Amino acid sequence: MKSKKQISIQEAAAEIKNGDAVIVAGFVLWRKPMAIVYEMVRQQKRDLQLLGANPGVDCDILIGAGCVKIYESNYVGHELFGKIGNNFARAVMAGTIICEDYGHYHGVLRLEAAAMGVPFLPSFSCLGTDLLNPEYDMLGQAGLRDGSNPRIPREKFKIVTDSFYGDGNVVLVPAARADVCIAHVQQVGDRGTVRIDGQRFADIEAMKAAGKVIVMAEEIVPEEVLRQDPAANVLAGFRVDAIVECPFGGHPGGVYGCYDADGAFLSNYNDNGSRTQEDFDKFAQEWIYDIKSHDEYLDKVGASKLMNLRANSSLKWSTRVKRGVR
Amino acid sequence: MSNPNYAKPGDYKLGALMVIAAAREVRDKEIAFAGTGLPMVGIMAAMRMHAPNAHLVYEAGTTDSMPISLPSSVGGPRCGHKAAVISGMADVFGMLQSGWVDLGFLGGAEIDKYGNVNCTAMGDYKHPTARFPGAGGNPDINALAKRTVYIMVQQKRRFSEQVSYATSPGWRVKWWDKDGKMEWKSRREVYGKRFGGGPSAVITDMAVFRFDEETGIMYLDTVHPGRTIEDVKNNVGFDLDVSRCLGETPPPTYEQLDLLYNEIDPEGIFLP
Repeated sequence: MKSKKQISIQEAAAEIKNGDAVIVAGFVLWRKPMAIVYEMVRQQKRDLQLLGANPGVDCDILIGAGCVKIYESNYVGHELFGKIGNNFARAVMAGTIICEDYGHYHGVLRLEAAAMGVPFLPSFSCLGTDLLNPEYDMLGQAGLRDGSNPRIPREKFKIVTDSFYGDGNVVLVPAARADVCIAHVQQVGDRGTVRIDGQRFADIEAMKAAGKVIVMAEEIVPEEVLRQDPAANVLAGFRVDAIVECPFGGHPGGVYGCYDADGAFLSNYNDNGSRTQEDFDKFAQEWIYDIKSHDEYLDKVGASKLMNLRANSSLKWSTRVKRGVR
Repeated sequence: MSNPNYAKPGDYKLGALMVIAAAREVRDKEIAFAGTGLPMVGIMAAMRMHAPNAHLVYEAGTTDSMPISLPSSVGGPRCGHKAAVISGMADVFGMLQSGWVDLGFLGGAEIDKYGNVNCTAMGDYKHPTARFPGAGGNPDINALAKRTVYIMVQQKRRFSEQVSYATSPGWRVKWWDKDGKMEWKSRREVYGKRFGGGPSAVITDMAVFRFDEETGIMYLDTVHPGRTIEDVKNNVGFDLDVSRCLGETPPPTYEQLDLLYNEIDPEGIFLP
């Protein structure tokens, strides 16, 4: 079964151009399209504008590899496996990326606005914080809010007074209009219908916020199968530009119902693979540049390790992975 | 519990005391937002103690789940077990914004006496001396839940007169006029009709703090066993009101330790 929409990991990464505004869907370390992220590093993407609500190891790796110029989001870390994205922190401190901080909900609303086709959405969140400090509009400070770039809104936010119900101060946040969204899901139909199992995070909004949508899946399945239960699908195939099949494509992150996040790998990345640029360069050489294909990557991770991460089909998580100290 | 079987000093670790202190903040039937780490352990413990009808919400998109295996992340597969609804972030943040959430547990790198919390950067924001992961859902939960409880490390430089960057709003907050001039305003004034509450307690490795209802200023509530009021004062960077200190934080009971180590976190993920 070869779908017309199906492309390779290399072709998927090649769809992303230098300078593009990119959303990497998923949540911190869950359902991240890591195989495409690694390939973006190999293809040495430059000057990317990273949008999206839930960055994690994907974002930290892209920053460490010098792919990113602008970051607009709310968190880079690895949760339990590393409190701070080290490459991200170094780049912000050195001023080598422009970092526009938003709150989490505002990040979601920015995607939702783009998905709905409107320029902004309102909320009450973050009032009275430095996230809404006019001095801390970093794209503005860099002179990039002159309206010449269609991916950069003229203002970071705007506070207005509600005239409908008299609800007082309301924050408007601009749509995050991206060039490309790359997502990783459990199943995609051979004509592109997207199925997500478990938490959807902000992925539905993320996919709808981009001009071009590339969906990587653990497996490509016959479209007819997905259409037997349409309520479980989240996006019609005609909105998906290309699909990629890639088992364990989210490693070192996890995928609900398929495999757990590889905590040992992530902790090692945090402790030994990203604390300094030299550490990261070594990590990237070993795990990205020296590896020619996803199959070679999986071989290097190792079959027994992947099997231990594999989810119990009834519980949806791995009962074999060692997570704590006991 | 009329006669609690408190664990003796040396029979429990600080992490267990902090989790049980956090669990005591949960009331039955409340809707609670849980972040990764000790907060989720605290809420799960509360649900097995005095709050069996509390409802657990995870930021990444699950509502009213009943985990049987401790999640290691709010986005992980264990969060969804026996949930009423698995959805996405727009859904749960919308629930938060429309006033449904009673309690949120949060962390932070630095806090001021009004409960403004920094999870972004130390020093000058534009040229920081240290950079943290960023806001995450901290300001959303703190702005929109009725009560929030912070779990933090007690250090003088983390308990500041004024935080380097106010990521998350306390009881007195920054506000900018049309010309960009900053002034401090009460949270009530800024949030107006949408005001629903604010920071309620701070639990550290030394003590529990609360906030005065009138002034919004932090005060010392209880001191953990083995620590003194002086210890706490020496690790706070502002003039701390200790006049209302109730004494020692109650330690966990042996039954609670059994619950934490054998039922909730048997793998030793957050409670090594």
